[in-house]
Amino acid sequence: MSNLLHFSETTLQEVALGIMAIVYITRLTWLMRFKAGKERQAATGLGDTTPRKGFIYSWANVAMPWGMESTRTKMFLYSQFVVFHLGVVAAIALSFIIPYAPQLLDSSTLVLVLQIATGAACLVGVIRIIRRMTDTYVKAISTPDDHFSLWLLTVWFAFAFLAVPNSTAGGEWHLLTYFILTAFFLIYVPFSKISHYLYYPFTRYYLGKSLGRRGVFPLRRVN
Amino acid sequence: MSKEKRSHKAQKVIERMGKKLNRQVVGSLVACVHCGNCTDSCHYVLANPGDPTYAPAYKADRIRKFFKAHYDWTGRVFPAWVGAKSLYTDEDLEELKDTVFGKCTNCRRCTINCPMGVDYATFNRMARGLLVSVGVMPEGVAVVSKDQWEIGNQMGVLKEDYLDTLEWMSEELQGELEDPNAGIPIDKEDADIVYSINPREVKYDPRTIADAAKIFHQAGANWTMPSEGWDMTNFGLFSGDDDLGGAVARRLYEKVSELRGKKLVISECGHGYRSTRCEGQNWAQWDIDFVMESSVITMLNYIKEGRIKVDKTRNTTPVTFHDSCNNARSCGLTEEPRELLKLVCTDFREMYPNRAENYCCTGGGGAMSMSEYTPRRLKSAKIKADQLAATGAKIVVTSCHNCVDGLADCIKHYKLGMEVTQLVNLVANALVIEKKVTVPVAEPIAASDLQGRRILVTDDEPDFVTFVSTVLEDNGATVFRAYNAAEAMEIARREKPDLITLDISMPDKDGSEVFADIREDDILKRIPVCIITGQPELRKLIYDKPHRPPEGFVSKPVTEDGLLLNVKKLLKVAHHQPEGVRKQ
Ligand code: SF4
Ligand code: SF4
Repeated sequence: MSNLLHFSETTLQEVALGIMAIVYITRLTWLMRFKAGKERQAATGLGDTTPRKGFIYSWANVAMPWGMESTRTKMFLYSQFVVFHLGVVAAIALSFIIPYAPQLLDSSTLVLVLQIATGAACLVGVIRIIRRMTDTYVKAISTPDDHFSLWLLTVWFAFAFLAVPNSTAGGEWHLLTYFILTAFFLIYVPFSKISHYLYYPFTRYYLGKSLGRRGVFPLRRVN
Repeated sequence: MSKEKRSHKAQKVIERMGKKLNRQVVGSLVACVHCGNCTDSCHYVLANPGDPTYAPAYKADRIRKFFKAHYDWTGRVFPAWVGAKSLYTDEDLEELKDTVFGKCTNCRRCTINCPMGVDYATFNRMARGLLVSVGVMPEGVAVVSKDQWEIGNQMGVLKEDYLDTLEWMSEELQGELEDPNAGIPIDKEDADIVYSINPREVKYDPRTIADAAKIFHQAGANWTMPSEGWDMTNFGLFSGDDDLGGAVARRLYEKVSELRGKKLVISECGHGYRSTRCEGQNWAQWDIDFVMESSVITMLNYIKEGRIKVDKTRNTTPVTFHDSCNNARSCGLTEEPRELLKLVCTDFREMYPNRAENYCCTGGGGAMSMSEYTPRRLKSAKIKADQLAATGAKIVVTSCHNCVDGLADCIKHYKLGMEVTQLVNLVANALVIEKKVTVPVAEPIAASDLQGRRILVTDDEPDFVTFVSTVLEDNGATVFRAYNAAEAMEIARREKPDLITLDISMPDKDGSEVFADIREDDILKRIPVCIITGQPELRKLIYDKPHRPPEGFVSKPVTEDGLLLNVKKLLKVAHHQPEGVRKQ
């Protein structure tokens, strides 16, 4: 392994992670500086739900495609969401496995699982790029950041797919590119829309808490 | 463009935004991933396929842009990259007004369909409030807000008119039940229930007040209505003006406290219920020491507790139920109305989607008061029309006065031939009233109520003229029919009727101009005028005239009973008669 690859796998990642953590903390501190709105009124609804039930339901919503009309009626899009995010988990896990626990990749099953996850996510990335560029509605709301973030992740998935076997037999370029992209990704994330997962727990918590108190969450539906 | 070149109003909007931001709103402003999942949850999108400017995320971005430019450092550092853009000119504010008032009813349907939990409707309301704070708003919003600030209710109902209507309804009830104790108690202290209403009930639909009074009376409730602070609606919810919202809510809370009422019962109104029950205390920063409840729950409990008896076979026409957005998506009031409906109707048909997933009536968010957006609203109502038609019901029931108007407009525009009513009307109709045993007095049948009255009916729709004329003639009136403005003036001058009914939109001359001509005529100006219109949002055309306002104002569709009630009130004819002569 070249010094450059070793540096990219370790020091570069650690620095990038450090920067990401600092920016994240700054971002969260900024969000928490805004006062949370308070509800004074007595609870409404049938009394079978509470703010607690509401926010738990709200958080669990991500795994309940039947819960929202927007996911229930667009299962193909929902499946893309699942595949894409599993790919993110796999590609991030890989960036720790290769430098710190490479022996895990001796398992051909794990290699296969990681390759399926990143490969499928890459494919979904391509589908999403096409959708973002062609769907009238999505195109109209897309910023340069939306486009760039999607391209970045899709290319990153492709290199993660190539990096999974952790083999330098055909050269180091694919591993090097994967780790440099990972470091860039880590630094870029807090500045971009990719940081949405940082806000997700907050937005869904507050919405769930409020709608739980008001007897709206968990949603009742009769079809 | 520099800060110095920014218009004064734009600068104020930006500065004031900082004061309105809370954690929930900021979270919603930063969390959107532009996935587009919420797009087709909005009725505006569905009715305008291919136009992305109606998409919730697109509309939200109009607000997000200047939030990012000023309050989020990613937008300050890389504005073009993240789509940040400030507001500079008054034209920018006008564009924003068109989006936040004219393209969204704050119905919150996109909110519950966003995987990220982005609550667009909430920050759209915030943006409305910012614009209102610098005087940029649809004219209707300005007028209604002014009425609510100055007169205390959003329809400008004067105290004497309100009390007069309650008195009239009391007499109605006493006559109907033949019970002198069956009136509406006003300002009674220590009552178990203080009943608050929507001013629309006083102005256009007093029957709902009489029906509620009948139910309270039959239940033996210790109840009252306040002489002031009786309006449970709150235009602050629509205009985004928290100061107005707080002041209006406080007026009502203070009155209940002053009367030492134990429970505030809120009549059927979605935005009124949400504002009074759920948001008012937060806007007013006020903690209350009494209970608040929707009249739907009160009526349901009366039946369950056996305090009133109902006979559902009196309501056999197929009905469906429309969930108001505010009740369903912001207050969780979805099951009680259904339970009640099933107790008082024989044929209830569910509408799909329903409950929190129901579509807006399209008149929400104050849309009924913004006549400049009426064509857009009616176009978006196609979604509601299809939903209504698919139920096969003949009556749509809703627990919201705003929805009554929105649905009535939709039904008329798409010619659905349905009626709109409220639960209170159905419950009152189904009430089993145990009459006191009285010896029937053989009285000669009296002449009909309107015997000898001469009424001019003016409308360009021949079917409607026929309907109104038939109802009035059946009750003894002599009716003159006019189908346009010229005929109306000619007949009015020739016949000098006791009452003139007038449509607003007519082909030759606007009804408001005919109204002005009547008021300016030395002889005709004394004749009471009742406006009957399918476009209640045009009332401004009449009420803004420098004349005495019309004596009556009725929205279409009009029921036989509603028409008679209003006409008799205007002609000062008691609506009730001894049982022996009641027209069935
Ligand atoms: S508001 Fe929610 S559903 Fe709509 S585009 Fe943004 S993240 Fe997606
Ligand atoms: S709140 Fe309702 S009207 Fe407004 S964008 Fe969302 S779905 Fe459309």
